[in-house]
This record gives sequence, C-alpha cells and structure tokens, in this order.
Amino acid sequence: MSLFAEVWEAVKAVGAGLGAVNKRISEPAVTEFYPYKKPEIPPVSVQFLALIQNEDGTDRCVACLQCERVCPSQVITIERKRNPEGKGFVLERFDLDFANCMHCANCVEACPVSAIVTVGAFEHAVYDINLLKADKAMLDHIGHEARVWYSPKFGVELRTPEGKIQKAPPEMQPGGLAELLKAEGGEAS
Amino acid sequence: MSRMPLPADRLVQPKLVGYDPTRPRPWLERLAYTLFFAALWAMVILAYGAVPALFRRFGWLSTTAGFLAYAVVEAVLAFLLAAVVALILIVVLRKYLGKVQERVGPMHYGPAGVFQTVFDALKLLGKEDFAPKRVDWLIFRIAPAIVFVSAFLLMVALPVAGGWVMADLNVGLLYIVAVSTLGAYGVVLGGLSQGNKWGLLGGFRAGAQLVSYEVPLALALLAVGVYAGSLRLSDIVEHQYGVWHVVPLFLSFVVYLVASIAELKATPFDLPEAESELVAGYNTEYSGMSFAFFFLAEFVELFLLPGFMVVLFFGGWHGPLFGLAPGSFAAGVLQSLYFLIKVAVWVWIFLWIRATLPRFRDDQLMDLAWKGLLPLALVGLLVAAFLRMFLEVL
Amino acid sequence: MRGPTTVEPVPGRTDELIINMGPQHPATHGVLKVVIGVEGERITRAVPHIGFLHRNHEKIEEARTYPQIITYTDRMDYVSGLQNELPFILAVEDLLGVEVPQRAKLIRTIFFELFRIASHLVWLGTGMLDLGAITPFLYTFRDREMILEITEKTAGARMLPNYFTFGGVRRDVHPDFFKDVAHFLDFFETRLPDYYALVLDSPVFQARAVGVGVLSRERAIARGASGPVLRASGVAYDVRKAEPYDAYPDLEFQVPTRTEGDVFARFWVRFKEMEESVKIIRQALEKVPKTGPYKGKVPPRVKPKPGARYRAVEISRGHLGTYVVSDGSERPLRVKHRSPSFANLQLIPDLFVGARFADAIAILSSLDPVFGEVDR
Ligand code: SF4
Ligand code: SF4
Repeated sequence: MSLFAEVWEAVKAVGAGLGAVNKRISEPAVTEFYPYKKPEIPPVSVQFLALIQNEDGTDRCVACLQCERVCPSQVITIERKRNPEGKGFVLERFDLDFANCMHCANCVEACPVSAIVTVGAFEHAVYDINLLKADKAMLDHIGHEARVWYSPKFGVELRTPEGKIQKAPPEMQPGGLAELLKAEGGEAS
Repeated sequence: MSRMPLPADRLVQPKLVGYDPTRPRPWLERLAYTLFFAALWAMVILAYGAVPALFRRFGWLSTTAGFLAYAVVEAVLAFLLAAVVALILIVVLRKYLGKVQERVGPMHYGPAGVFQTVFDALKLLGKEDFAPKRVDWLIFRIAPAIVFVSAFLLMVALPVAGGWVMADLNVGLLYIVAVSTLGAYGVVLGGLSQGNKWGLLGGFRAGAQLVSYEVPLALALLAVGVYAGSLRLSDIVEHQYGVWHVVPLFLSFVVYLVASIAELKATPFDLPEAESELVAGYNTEYSGMSFAFFFLAEFVELFLLPGFMVVLFFGGWHGPLFGLAPGSFAAGVLQSLYFLIKVAVWVWIFLWIRATLPRFRDDQLMDLAWKGLLPLALVGLLVAAFLRMFLEVL
Repeated sequence: MRGPTTVEPVPGRTDELIINMGPQHPATHGVLKVVIGVEGERITRAVPHIGFLHRNHEKIEEARTYPQIITYTDRMDYVSGLQNELPFILAVEDLLGVEVPQRAKLIRTIFFELFRIASHLVWLGTGMLDLGAITPFLYTFRDREMILEITEKTAGARMLPNYFTFGGVRRDVHPDFFKDVAHFLDFFETRLPDYYALVLDSPVFQARAVGVGVLSRERAIARGASGPVLRASGVAYDVRKAEPYDAYPDLEFQVPTRTEGDVFARFWVRFKEMEESVKIIRQALEKVPKTGPYKGKVPPRVKPKPGARYRAVEISRGHLGTYVVSDGSERPLRVKHRSPSFANLQLIPDLFVGARFADAIAILSSLDPVFGEVDR
C-alpha cells in the first residue's frame, strides 16, 4: 500500500510542478527589446563618465587631481599648468582609459566641483579597444551630449534643449538630497 | 587621439522581416500558428490521402512503371512531411518554452518568429560539416543517416485516417518496434565513432537507455496487440469504436508514455545529450547538416511517438463524421484533422513535461525501466490478455 | 595532508577513462577544471585545478589606499558583490574607531540580505540547469533582476555597486527604496511556492539529491567548510549569530540547519535562508528611520592607526573574513581574504570519489562555488 501512496505522492508533486509552469503561460514576457527600446537608466547609474563644461564653455574642472588620486584602476591621467591669468590651475591634458575603468564612480565622488560626472549613455562597446581611451575633447563631447547627469555634490542636473544647465526637480534626485530639498522648500526646482 | 564614434552612429539595428517585436500582436501569432497547423494538415492530406487516391483513381498502380513512380512520389512527400513537421515543431517548442518562461521566444524572422527554423536550417546548410581527425569517418557519417532513416521509416506505418496509410502492414506493431530500435544504433555509433570522451559517454548512455526502454515499450505495444487481436494498426484503430484503449489498457498507456519520452531523449530522460554533464553527449562533434539530421530525427519522433500513442490508445482518427460516408475522401480529410488535433494535444503535453522536470540519473533511469516499467508492462500485458479472454467469452 | 595533485593514467589499466572536466565545461560555473577518472559512470579519482581566474587581488590591494580597496573587494564574489565589501569595511572601521549610525547599519543589512537572496537565486537557477531543468533558471533570473534594479537605483550599479563605505554607505537611499524593497518581498513570497513545486518537492529532483554527496559533520569541520554547506551537515555556525555585525544583534532570525549533509540538505538550507532573509529584511524595514544620517564621521584621509584586525561576515557562500594589517599609512601593509568558496571547494575529492558522474554535477552545484572568490 505504501508503494501506491508513494507513487501517488510523486504524481501529485509532478502535477504541482506542471501547474507551476503552466501558470506562467499567460504572464507577460519580461524580455527587453533592447535595440528598439532603450531601457531607462537611473541617473545615479554609473554607465559612462563625462566632463561637464559650464554654460559659457569654460571647464568646471579646477585640475585639483582628486579624481586621479582616488581612482583604484589608476586610469585617469591629468597634466595641469598654472593659470596665467588669476590663480589656480588649468588642464593641459585629461585622459581617461575607459577600457580599464571599473565604473566605481570614486572619481565622481571625490570631485569637489562636480566636473566629472556619471551619465546614462551606456552603449560604448567598440571593436577597437583604443577607441575607449578618451581624451579631454571626447569627455567634453560626452558631457555636451548628455541631457542628464549625476554627481554627489550637485545631485542630478539637466541640460535644457537651449543648453542651459539646471538642477533637476527634487523627485528626480536620488537619496537624501531629495529630502533635503523638500525640507528647504524645494527652492532649487 | 581619435574621437570615439557616438552610439547613435554605430548602432546596428537588426533587420526586421515584417514584424515589429516591440508591438506584440497576439492575433497575428495565433493566425500564423493556425496557418502552420493548416499547412501540416494539407501536407498530411497530400501525402497520405490525395496522391494515393489519385494513383488509384487512374489505375496507375497496376503497371510496374506506375508503381515505381508512386513509390518515388510518396518517398519525396514523406520526406517533405518530415521536414515540415520538424520545422514546425522546433519553432513551436521554442515559442512554447518562451511563453512558459516569461520571455518571447523567437520573434525576428516572420510574424512572431514563425520562420525562425527556416533560417536556422539555412544556417546549418551553409555551415562546414566538420569531422575531427580522430573520428571513424565512415561510421561517423553513417550514424546521422541511420538515426534519421529510422525516424523517417516510421512514417510509412502511421495511419492518419480510415484507409489512409502508406503501407498497411499486417505486422505494423512489430514494424514499429523493429524500426524504432534501429535509431538506437545510429545514436550509439555516432557517440562511439567520434573519438571524443564526452561523445563516448553519451553513446554508452544512449545505448543503455534506448535498449532498456525498448523492452517496456515493446511489451506495451504487445498488450495493445493482444487486446485488439491484431498487429495491423488500422485494425487496432477500428477496434476502438465504443471505448478507447486508454481505458482498459491504462497501465500499458502509462508505460508507453514514459518509455516514449525516454525514446525521445527529452527531459527528464535526456541523459545521452545531457548538455550540463556531457557537453552535448553523442552529438558533441557533429556540425552542419550531420547535426541537423540528428535534430530533425528528434523532432520527427516528437511527432511520431505521440502519433502512435494516439493510434494505439486514443482511438486514432475517430471523431464525429457528420454524416459523411466512412471511407470517402471527405471523411478521410475530416478524420485526419481529428488525428492531428489529438497528436497536437499530446505533443503539447510532451513539451510541457520537458519544460518542467529536471533530469534523472543514469542508474535511476535503469531502475525505473527494469524495476518499475517492466513489471508494470507485464501486468499490463496480463490485464490485456484477461480482458481479451472475457471479451471472447462474452 | 596533501592529496594527489594530478591524475595520471595507470599503465595497463583500460577500464578507467580520464576526463578533463572544465575549464570550459557547462556545469563548472566559470573556470574550474576537475581532472577525473571514471570507470563507466563511477568516479574513481578527482583532482580540482583552480587559478584560471587569478587576478592577484591581495597583492594589488597592498598598493591601493583604503577607499580604493573597497572597489576591489566587490570583484571577488561577483554574484553577491555588495556583501564582499563588508568585512574589509568592518575591519577598517574598527581600526579607525568610527561610529556607524544605526540607520546606516540597517541599510547595510537590508542590502546584505537582498544580495543573499539574489545570490541564492542565481545558485538555484544554475543549479537546476545543471540538473537538467531549464525553466527555473529563467524564473530565478527574472526575480533577481528586480533586486538588481533596486540596487542600481540607489547604488549606481547592478552587481558591483561599490556602495558601502567606512562609517556607513556612500549616499542616501533612493526615495523609492523602502517601497521597492517591500514590493519585491511581497512579490518574491508569491514566487517561492513555485520554486518549492519545481525544485524541492519535485520527485525527480529528490531522486537526484537525497543521499547524494553526503558530507559528515566531522569532515565538514575538518575541511573548513562554511555557510550552507556546513549548516547542511548539522553545524549551526553562522557568523551573523556567532559574531554579530551591523544590525544583526537587533534582528530576530533562525539559522536553518539540517543533519543529513547531502545535496538535498544543502538545497533545503539555502531555500530556508531565502525565507529567513525575507523575514530579516521585513524587520529591518520596520526599524529603519526614513530619514537621518547615513554615514558616520570619517576623517577625509583614511589612515588607521597601526594594528591588525580580522573581521568576518556571513556572505551567501559562508564565512568571508578579511584580515587587515595597518602600519599607520594610507595603504594597508597586508590584506588577506579568507574566502568560503575556496574552502568549500576542497571538498571536491572527498565528495566526488565514489559518486556517479551525474552526481558530481549535482554536488558541484550544491557547493555553489564562485570562481572570482576562489582564485581572487
Ligand atoms: S569610475 Fe572608478 S575606475 Fe573609472 S575613472 Fe572613475 S575612479 Fe577610476
Ligand atoms: S576631481 Fe574634479 S576638479 Fe579635480 S581634477 Fe578631477 S575632474 Fe577636475
């Protein structure tokens, strides 16, 4: 008798498995149609790095070398010279080797003026690895193309179609910054 | 330093053949798959009903030349049918697995990906049919042919409607057993000849599995034969007027179900090609069309084994005829539809099982065959014999 | 005790077949190579070869500053990436004497347990794929995707987020975070019965798993096994209970244990751990303040005082410990990681020999090694 009971249990268990599979047949597919539909990437997501220039075309970067210092893969190379007019430094060279970058965003975190930021462009696979060695012109270019970017200092910022740089409304801000802005009455939006 | 080309410049959009996958259109899918079914039905009518009827109508069969022409035409039609069945079943399998796994399955070629297999077949045709240095060349080449031919030969004996069968053998059941065993040789030889250890292990497993599952399968078939009192498949179908064999011969049916899944080498019995254990098992070194033949044979069998199950246990082509005279061409068309619908239901159940269960281990498989199914099949045979005796007495 | 380091064919013996399983075998979860001798289907000898993914983490870390090392620790066990950061951070926090706010601790705990679920889901899917069932793989990856999306929204990356830091976490959580996590937990609890039906309750799975690869309590302790492998052999050792860290002292949870020590027990323990994780996250969600500090006061230049510290955490695979020696400079003198998969992998010769070939696959997937962590 126990044999029959065992067989019956096994049949029931297989039936439960079959039911669990069949149940899903009507559920919508979760497949992403990637090349046709781009996924929406949250602005904090570290996909690509860019150098942001101010609206008047000057560099935000003050060549403080913080990002170079914190980069764990040591892929940032900066050369700077004394600013001929006024104090501080100006960049001579800013190279970033995306091929070896681990997208940790330590550099973004360290930058005191939010010059280096994370942007949501994620399609940077290329056939020639040398194309991933970015110079300043390219980083600036990525920054100009970007419509939205993030840095811990300033939060999420937007570039309007006219080329103005704006702080994003609080609901787009990740983390505690949104709370902060709400507490202050949302004056930044 | 060169400027990296921007994403928009180098984005390659795969070409779409008449279907935008981002816009799901379920009605189009349904229409496409209904048309598939209709095409299969048309092929079956052509191969099993129309061409033989044509030859008989004009009396060409009585001459030698006419008979030879008939044989050639039928062989070509059977091959085409096998190809159509495989093409359809492969895409149906992938689409079904996609559906239950919450993805979309093939979707790029044709509406809802219905032409995916056609493109796959073209790809396989275009591939180099590579044979490694250490293979036993002759056996390596013959093995896929044996596998495919054994599946293909089974088609001859499949009765799809009243009087619609290519060869109505009076030893139909024996023929099934004999020919389907032939496939095991192909698999074993293919595994052993390729000089690859995974292939060798796969071949061993295939040999052990297929041979041991032939025994309960044959006994289940024998039970049907005993109960129906004939080995001729059309007689067996005729015998099921009133009550289908699945009711009195339930035990044999269960044995046939399990053993035929094992014959198919589908999960939970896909040990010979267990891709996570043996890489690809007996077809590790096959490529191009040789591989395609193994694949083709597997899917033709996926159609034929449920087909014979329907013939033996589910009343074959039986169904309401709406006043059509049995034996007429119109009745045959309708009956073949009933037959195909029953087969389709069973194919779905086979796919369903394939999607659910993990794989058995080789020794458990043997245990199941020799300690579980064989006694069950013998009991089934006994039941069939007793039932037959009572029928005779009554 | 040293075992054999290679498998040589015995001269004159023809019934034994020597097979290289891996490093490109579908069931070796990356780059393990096991040289095995089989007689028919029964394994006579087995020698694992590792090191195909060696990236020299410990040496590189000696040349990096403390904040930079966090990024490297992520890359060890890439399936449960975030969990690897914690032992190093705890050790450095101890050396620095940093106070971690309670809210940061709770956030860390929530992420820690989310990644435990994610990692166990990957293990479940790939493990069942090894056993021949394709469907659970796609279900589990679909569920894991939700965890990764939650992580990306807050931490900025999906698998290797580099989110924990000395004194707390790098940035505050996304405003939707607590809502998303609660939603995920509700959703996940509706999916769990399906996994039971497809895996643990399935008779075919039970036939494959019960009584296979039995690891005795003594052997498990002797080989230094940890995590679910150890707990399935009847040792209720869990770092979360033994040396509680972060918010675990305030949370109630059980340590699921089983005494059989077979493949089934290891699967069972991981299933129950997922359920426990759901409970832990639920409690943490109730306790965590919605706003507040997420990072304690840390000096801008991390320079721990000279000394050494060993801290361990219970990651999805077991006891991950990090030993940090500081000489008072910006860079550690030495960092040593004690990784659970490496210790668990030593069990391969014990468990493989005498098993059938198909069992070996089941045993390997029940050990659940991740090679980034084995080779480091
Ligand atoms: S993201 Fe990390 S690795 Fe990449 S450049 Fe910035 S600091 Fe370096
Ligand atoms: S940290 Fe910012 S400001 Fe300083 S060099 Fe880097 S990008 Fe420029």
